[in-house]
Amino acid sequence: MIDDIRVGALIASSSIKRGNKKTLLFIVFVLSLIFMNLVFLPSMIGGMTVLFTGIMQDYPYGDIVIEPTGDNTYINNADNVLQKVRAVEGVRAATKRLDVGASIEHKQNVVGVTVTGVVPTEEYEISQYPYIIKEGDFLGELSRDEIIIGSIISGTSTTFGEIYDDLGETRVGSLVDVTYSNGVKRTYKVKGIMEGNFELVDLNAMVHYKEIEDVYGLDKGKATSVVVRIDEPGTEDEMKAKIREAGVNEQVFTWADKSETLIRQALQSLGAIDVMSKFVGLIVGAALILIIIYINILNRKKEIGILKAVGVTPRSIVLSYTFLSMFYVSLGIFAGLILYLSLMFYFQANPVTFYGTMQIRPQIDVMLIIQSIVTMLTLSVIAGTLPAWSVSKESILKAIWGR
Amino acid sequence: MIKVKNLKRYYGSGSTTVKALNGVSFEIKKGEFVAIMGASGSGKTTILRILALLDDATDGEYTIRGLKVSSLPEAERSYYRLTQVGYVFQDYALINEMTAAENVYILSMMEGKSKKESYKVALEALDKVGLKDKHDRIPDELSGGEKQRVAIARAIAKKPDIMFADEPCANLDTRNSEQVLDVFKDLNDNYGQTIVMVTHEPWHVKYVDRVITFKDGVMVGDEWMDDR
Ligand SMILES: Nc1ncnc2c1ncn2[C@@H]1O[C@H](COP(=O)(O)OP(=O)(O)O)[C@@H](O)[C@H]1O
Ligand SMILES: [Mg+2]
Repeated sequence: MIDDIRVGALIASSSIKRGNKKTLLFIVFVLSLIFMNLVFLPSMIGGMTVLFTGIMQDYPYGDIVIEPTGDNTYINNADNVLQKVRAVEGVRAATKRLDVGASIEHKQNVVGVTVTGVVPTEEYEISQYPYIIKEGDFLGELSRDEIIIGSIISGTSTTFGEIYDDLGETRVGSLVDVTYSNGVKRTYKVKGIMEGNFELVDLNAMVHYKEIEDVYGLDKGKATSVVVRIDEPGTEDEMKAKIREAGVNEQVFTWADKSETLIRQALQSLGAIDVMSKFVGLIVGAALILIIIYINILNRKKEIGILKAVGVTPRSIVLSYTFLSMFYVSLGIFAGLILYLSLMFYFQANPVTFYGTMQIRPQIDVMLIIQSIVTMLTLSVIAGTLPAWSVSKESILKAIWGR
Repeated sequence: MIKVKNLKRYYGSGSTTVKALNGVSFEIKKGEFVAIMGASGSGKTTILRILALLDDATDGEYTIRGLKVSSLPEAERSYYRLTQVGYVFQDYALINEMTAAENVYILSMMEGKSKKESYKVALEALDKVGLKDKHDRIPDELSGGEKQRVAIARAIAKKPDIMFADEPCANLDTRNSEQVLDVFKDLNDNYGQTIVMVTHEPWHVKYVDRVITFKDGVMVGDEWMDDR
């Protein structure tokens, strides 16, 4: 067997050394594209995931979000929960929120929205909301008759344009009527317009926490969620456990817990495209290697016969094609990696930008790269060995003299 | 050394059967240089391929040193081909991507020798055919006669019991043919190499010890040359 391997390697290396370099270059180029295809799209999807999860953290969920247990609409003792949470080491900030449904009206235009009651001063530590006010100002402690509306609702979104209903030309200072889900109607002055270039944000409205308490006649300390930010990113699971230990009996989620389903849904279609393109890529790759090797073998059928006739074992000959194929594919992977890393480098420096502010920086997934390398190499072994094996079975006379 | 008895080789079946060999018997002893002659289609290639274990007889017996090789399994026949039999093809049958040395030493490596040792053996063999200084040329960089001499080096490097050559000079001009035949003669005279060569050129006869003549699949002559 060792002799077979040595002789196989000799045949393969001489055929590489003195074979057609242009063909080799072309083969390697195509294989590198196939490798790229395996790793590039997932990297972009990874980048999107990071972007989306960032949005999840910066707006609705923070690092950790506490929600009511069971069928309860509200956390009943949110102030108590907040007290406990803030006492936990590693918690940077926490706040409570009240989400309710409502419709907003302005000059006969009506739009259904979620209105979030926030504690304005606390949001600066928790979310990006205070920092994305593109016109006017964020709410203050005394903002009881004021509202922040998303740019899509106001009709000033430059990115989402005419997809959604809006209130027409609402500006800072405009008066809007809000009808809450319990029928109570209030009029607010628009204090600011926020724009995150993300539907989740730009379709929302925000008022002072006390307004919601007041409108719904809630006892003090009700909340639909308590949002927590922590000191150390990456310690979400630990912190979640610590918060539970601190005596919080409501449901505690990390942003990842919450985003998973959302993002999974959002990325599912992308994932399907990815799987399909990988599948097609692998099939094309396998077919390519198979054809390349097969043509090579057909061209050298006579040589194979000669080698056998002079006493080279069929196994060495088959192995030589396995090596040849592995060599092509290894070079292809190598070239593909270089191509891939330079593209990654480029996109890290020049991220794909959506809507002006959403930047996708592709993520490098080492496991996926290793997986792709292993897949391609396995493929090369099969695609190189199979045709060689079938030809090596042919009789010597037929291989050399054609009959 | 080799002995064939009532050897037959039929191609096809029924009314289209070609009786390429129809009962051939002879014996070749160690150290003989034998030419097999005869008209085209008389069965020369057929007998040579069977003797070199590249083909199977339809019927009859074939023994090398008393061993009935006609009934060996393929793996053993392959080993026999590798270690005991040298074969020189009409069209050289070299591997185009390999240098002269590589074409030769691949077989030593196949036999399990180290690369260094194999290289040494190859250079020795190339030396015997007068091509030591062209060991790193690929076939495209060699003349027809040189290619055939590389093929001979490949066949003799393993020091085979017996060497076969099927019209080794058919593609060569007279000068190159003479060079090749001189190499055969030298191997036979100085190293006692047993050689069976198919040819149809009458002038080749002066190089050999013995001429076996075929006609329509049977032996019609077996002469010893006098000038020996
Ligand atoms: N594979 C084959 N199938 C059918 N007939 C064959 C085959 N090989 C050789 N023959 C026939 O067998 C006869 C002997 O062929 P061959 O030994 O090649 O002759 P030579 O080498 O003396 O010219 C010829 O009639 C040839 O046509
Ligand atoms: Mg012939």
